[in-house]
Amino acid sequence: MGGARLRRELAIAAVALALVAALPLSGDAYVLRLGTTVLLYAVLAMSWNFIGGMTGYPSFASAAFFGLGAYAGAVAQSSGMPMALAWAFAGLVAAAFAALLGVALLRLRGHYFAIASLVVAEVLREIANSATDLTGGGMGLNLPVMSALSIQAQAVLFFYAMLAVAALNFGAMLATAHSRLGFGLRCIQQNESAADMIGVNTTLYKTVAFTLSAVFVGGAGAIYASWVNYIEPPDVFDVLFSVKAIVMVLLGGAGSLFGPLIGATVFLGLEELVWRNLLQIHTGILGLLIVLLVLFLPRGLLSLARRHRSAAA
Amino acid sequence: MLALQILANGLMLGGLYACIAAGFSLVWGVLNVINILHGSLIVLGAYLAFFAYTLWGIHPFASIVIAGTLFFALGYLVQSALINRVIGAPVLITLTLTFGLDLMLANAMIVGFKADFRKLTLDPPLGSIALGEVVMPVDRLLAMALALALTGLLYLLLAHSRIGRAIVAVRMDREAAALMGVDVRRVYAITFGLGTLMAGAAGPLLAMIFPISPLTGPAYLGKAFVVCVLGGLGSVPAVIVGGIVLGVVESFAALWFGPEHAVTVSFALLIAFLIFRPTGLLGKKGYE
Amino acid sequence: MKKAFVAAFAAIGATLGLTLAAGAAAQEAIRIGAPLPITGPLAPEAAKQKRGYDLWAELVNKAGGVKVGDKRHKVEIVYMDYQSNTPRAVQGAEKLITQDKVQFLFAPFGSGATKAASSVAERYRIPMIAVTASSEQVYDQGYKYLFGTFTPNQTLTEPISDIVKKRVSGAIRVAILARNDLFPLAIAQELEKSAKKRGIDVVYFEKYAIGTLDHASALSQIKAAAPNWIFATGYTNDLVLMRKQMADLQVEAPVVTMIAAPAYQEFIDASGKLAENISSASWWHPAVRYQGKTIFGSTENFVKLFEAKYKSTPDYVEASAAVSGALFQLAIERAGALDPVKVRDALAQTDLTTFWGPVRFGPNGQITSLEPPVFQIQGGKPIVVHPAPIAQGELKLGVK
Repeated sequence: MGGARLRRELAIAAVALALVAALPLSGDAYVLRLGTTVLLYAVLAMSWNFIGGMTGYPSFASAAFFGLGAYAGAVAQSSGMPMALAWAFAGLVAAAFAALLGVALLRLRGHYFAIASLVVAEVLREIANSATDLTGGGMGLNLPVMSALSIQAQAVLFFYAMLAVAALNFGAMLATAHSRLGFGLRCIQQNESAADMIGVNTTLYKTVAFTLSAVFVGGAGAIYASWVNYIEPPDVFDVLFSVKAIVMVLLGGAGSLFGPLIGATVFLGLEELVWRNLLQIHTGILGLLIVLLVLFLPRGLLSLARRHRSAAA
Repeated sequence: MLALQILANGLMLGGLYACIAAGFSLVWGVLNVINILHGSLIVLGAYLAFFAYTLWGIHPFASIVIAGTLFFALGYLVQSALINRVIGAPVLITLTLTFGLDLMLANAMIVGFKADFRKLTLDPPLGSIALGEVVMPVDRLLAMALALALTGLLYLLLAHSRIGRAIVAVRMDREAAALMGVDVRRVYAITFGLGTLMAGAAGPLLAMIFPISPLTGPAYLGKAFVVCVLGGLGSVPAVIVGGIVLGVVESFAALWFGPEHAVTVSFALLIAFLIFRPTGLLGKKGYE
Repeated sequence: MKKAFVAAFAAIGATLGLTLAAGAAAQEAIRIGAPLPITGPLAPEAAKQKRGYDLWAELVNKAGGVKVGDKRHKVEIVYMDYQSNTPRAVQGAEKLITQDKVQFLFAPFGSGATKAASSVAERYRIPMIAVTASSEQVYDQGYKYLFGTFTPNQTLTEPISDIVKKRVSGAIRVAILARNDLFPLAIAQELEKSAKKRGIDVVYFEKYAIGTLDHASALSQIKAAAPNWIFATGYTNDLVLMRKQMADLQVEAPVVTMIAAPAYQEFIDASGKLAENISSASWWHPAVRYQGKTIFGSTENFVKLFEAKYKSTPDYVEASAAVSGALFQLAIERAGALDPVKVRDALAQTDLTTFWGPVRFGPNGQITSLEPPVFQIQGGKPIVVHPAPIAQGELKLGVK
């Protein structure tokens, strides 16, 4: 039965992947930009799902991993590392940082963990601000311009790079969900002390989940840096990256496989719609959406589908 | 001599921080809700005092009382109509809810008041007191007094009134309190109302000291976080201790490491506390 | 699950539909894109730029539009909010070009965002006027489509250093406190150079972090260093707070210079009597007197038009935004076409007097012809003390 579910999940994922991969055929720069952004959001949401959704730890560290990845990639590229290598390097830097950080922070629970993870991004931002020699400080950092490729070709390249990270991320999530690790994480979410007692190595599992929540975000941060060509500390260490990741997962359905993807897609759609049409009040509308979501749909859009199906059955 | 002045600066800054954090700490400690709305509520209180003073000449000290009363009602409403609906949900849900509310309030203030920075400037100004070579601004001394008075009143309320004992009971054990016949939802609404009241009361005071803008909300919120972690949750005096420790640390960090590192040092301290002493300096066990 | 997918794709589809519809409408008017930080920390600056653009657009459209050959085109300014987030400004500039089909661009706020967005304008060959960018690094990228109305930072620090050197007797000791941010830090470093060049002793130079809520420690240290010139940089909120804390801690000096806030009425309103005798410099001031040849006419006329519409006196950001619109208009009319390359060439050849001052661009696109005024708040009003031809008074000593 487990095999059938896995096959169905893989089939859905393959169809979604094929649909998204066909996007550049439209040839429209704006569609491509939206596509790249939705993939970035999907990576943020899926990554947060490891630690927040599956393990139940309210992490606000996404912004820290994203910014760290962006700066690691940008600095590596500026010092001559080839672009693709710099992206992978950035992912590894973020992962190593998360593993070390996890050992210290994952002993905390609830609000305390939330705050500690939130503050990490603040500290990194201040460091990036003061380490002027390496990061350019408040002046920001310009990345090397690729003159070999046309604008359109560059846009397509960044799109597929982001798609690759998202696909890897999804694969990791799928593998985790069907492995002993996924089982252990869900045990921790239900009751950590009990999980400890039945022999789950909670410290190890949590740290692995935290590291998984960093590696893809770090890579995506580096791609983002190459994509927008200019980064500065307040932008890449923006707490909104953390908040959006959470909202997207809540929107789709926490802990589920497709929830983060659906959440990211719907969220970007709403954001674009609101951003474009309600210039003065779009943050307020975003706030209203969040409030309505929490009050009326706390288990995400997927719960609607489930409710519908059980009603039909 | 300079060190003495810096110490005085730090103590007075600490008083401000305690003012900023008092209501936030109460809500967090009793309701287990991180009220992201807190910073914007302070700003709203500051605007109230600003307009009361510039339009009708109402002194900000009077506004403290007015804002406090109005804000209590506001907080009571927000809690009973919105937050109570999800109060049993995981930490993240209530936090996200108040985050959404904060986006709405901040945006509404930008539309209503514009993002321009304003300030409530008293004429004549309150001035400063000099003790030897050490100079102390009167408004900051008042802020410290207000922080002490508010937390003192809160302490008396919690220790000696019926509702106060109900709040403490709910904080200790919600289920048991409910079984004893305490109306838990009402207690929550009153507590959130009190937290909002303190934000509203801090606003007019801060309006005399800081420029007022909807954009300053997050800065106040950030300080409230740090104060609560340093001081610890679950006891009233912890806010005063946390505020003063933060103020003094920031002041000396600015002296020793340069002003641009003052905030970084306080964040490093925050992380150290979270890891090694999550109960804070005065916090009680069971709140971490 | 399928339903959720359908809903998600429907939402995206609806978004795209709306977007494309918006792009197709109103092709007749000249469309100028303006990415602005309408929300977020820079929101007050966005409001200023917007006031300048709107004033110009209203005036042009009332006069029938911009003359292109023998036709008149109305102008339409397409705003987009980049939420004070620089990468979003870059994306927004691209979106304005590709989706909203704007023909020209105003740059986002400040040197950093302008530098970042200028690469987009350059790639798409869309002329862009930088309204609030002074750093030379912005212009020294070898770009052809970028023009700017602010002279380099040292044109602000050099004259003020001269004046202080002349007015303050004895050895001058300057204390510098700068916001650790692009423009405020750059101008502080420029002042350090200007001071050292004149043998002025820099007794204190520190930075404070963005979002600092307390300057007491830094000010106490400055007080202990006993400077006779205090030079502080930051934005309105920083400097209002700093001035208040200076008074609280009884930090006094013969000259206190602050950049950039005192050019804004908000600073004077918020600081009240404490604004008295604070000196500053900016690229423009309503007291300058130029017989402009653009739609706004003379400086007096511009100020009058602005005050009639907004009931407030224009500051240099508002004026720069308005003059940028007028410069586009002029270039389009001279080119006789809407072709971006021709308009770009016409911009590069600009040589005339406006209410902003004489306008000529250097080979890198940055304005070279401006002499920024130095002024001081006296009696609650900014009084020009330099350059001599338009000076309204002398620099007064003593800030308490």
